Amino acid sequence: MIELRGVSKTVQSGDHPLTILHPLDYAIPSGQFVAVVGPSGSGKSTLLGLLAGLDAPTTGEIRIDGVDITQLTEDGLAKLRGEKIGFVFQFFHLVPSLTAFENVLIPMEISGRRDAVPRARQLLEEVGLTERAHHYPSQLSGGEQQRVAIARTLMQQPAIILADEPVSSLDPRLSRVVLDILKRVCREDGITAVVSLHTLELTRGYSDRVIGLQQGRIVFDGPTPQLSDAAVDAIYHRHD
Amino acid sequence: MPEPTHQPNLPDILLEAPTPPRRSRSFYASLLLAVLVLGWSIHGAKIRPGELLDGIPQIFLTLGRMFPPDFSKITESKNYFLPDTLSWRDLLVPLPLADEQARTRQRWWDNTFPQTVIGATLETVQMALAGTFLALLVAFPVGFLAARNTTPHRFVYYGVRTFLNLVRTIPDLALGLLFVAAVGLGAFAGTLALAVHTATVLGKLLSESVENIDEGVVEAIRATGAGYTQILSFAVLPQILPDLISFTLYRLETNIRAASVLGLIGAGGIGYLMNTSFRTFQYQEAAAIVLVLIALVMLVDYLSSRLRARVV
Repeated sequence: MIELRGVSKTVQSGDHPLTILHPLDYAIPSGQFVAVVGPSGSGKSTLLGLLAGLDAPTTGEIRIDGVDITQLTEDGLAKLRGEKIGFVFQFFHLVPSLTAFENVLIPMEISGRRDAVPRARQLLEEVGLTERAHHYPSQLSGGEQQRVAIARTLMQQPAIILADEPVSSLDPRLSRVVLDILKRVCREDGITAVVSLHTLELTRGYSDRVIGLQQGRIVFDGPTPQLSDAAVDAIYHRHD
Repeated sequence: MPEPTHQPNLPDILLEAPTPPRRSRSFYASLLLAVLVLGWSIHGAKIRPGELLDGIPQIFLTLGRMFPPDFSKITESKNYFLPDTLSWRDLLVPLPLADEQARTRQRWWDNTFPQTVIGATLETVQMALAGTFLALLVAFPVGFLAARNTTPHRFVYYGVRTFLNLVRTIPDLALGLLFVAAVGLGAFAGTLALAVHTATVLGKLLSESVENIDEGVVEAIRATGAGYTQILSFAVLPQILPDLISFTLYRLETNIRAASVLGLIGAGGIGYLMNTSFRTFQYQEAAAIVLVLIALVMLVDYLSSRLRARVV
């Protein structure tokens, strides 16, 4: 369970403070695929960065399985991320000088856990990249790189996967391949996924629940079937 | 195919494009200043083409004195000052010898061999390799301390940067003189000079490489639960490794040339022999040494470019 209580984020923009997220109270139940949608600058990436502890909120507390992560030290946060949270980025961020296989191994090497090699092989097979295991990121397509990034995340055996625009740089077919993988691990392993998405079609096709953000405020929250056209207009501020 | 017709009602983007800015008076003033500074420099550098033209025959005369190069210092065994009590086999094969012979052999390797062309050439290579390696040991941690994104504190960043900039301005010849005064004539002084100068250059280059890494990879590795040192090893190091290898090989090539020059001030290496040959007007002998040096530099350039192509 992820709980947010009064969480806000304000940064200094020139001489003026700029509020990216207004105080939020929210709870994400375990095992769901939650889509975060909203126009550019609505606070999606900031929200995901806060949930991962990669950024600190200005106010409020974020509880993951009852632990307030805003009170943790950098070492405590690193431990929490290693044990519970996996993060998938829009631009994959694989280490360019390591092969796909070596990139997938990194979390296990960091945590010092054994059985790394067979698990890395199994995960590359699950994301359909067995044949590409010894290729470098520059030799892989965008979709393949993102699947390696997902395998790297799954290597941590996380309870929560946070994905910031994981398919924004991919074409529609590859987007579905990547989201199919995320959806499958969510269902099979009971992982909670919080994923920011940029198309309504993908949001409606994959998520169990939708959070709609507009200028740092939640303007829609509910099960995906309730995401009506009016709700979409409210999120994207369309009045035509 | 019909001719495209001009439609006068459409906006012409060329007409709408802003006119290029007019060059201001300050532009012409700067240009004039640059020309004046250049004229002043040419005057100060005493560039006199007439003297050069007059001196060209002298250049050919000196070059003529160098031909044919005299390789006897390399090819003739008398120039290796073989001890009477030892054969080539005794010297080259590391087998046990009687005490006196063993001492003679050691003295030959320590004192006589480095004075020969082959010995001095090898010493130059040793100085360059050892100096570059010592520099790398220092530059590697310094590179992280002097990079804005990995330094533990901004005071450390400014302190290390300032130190690197100050020491880097000291030419390696000056450092060589300093170390000759400290540890005496020989290869050790030259190696220290190369190590110090190279450490500051490599440290600066590495810090810039660290600052230019993809921060996204750092964020991704941080997100897998990595701490500070793990981020350095898994996210930063793999990204700077190609630069690290490339810069180190480049500095090794540079240090071969620098080690040759350091011989001029008695800091070991082949430069000392070359200087002696020139000063005693043994031009043909000097030409042979120059050719050996050229071959050495070309060999090291070739080997390092092969190595660089393989690992970078």
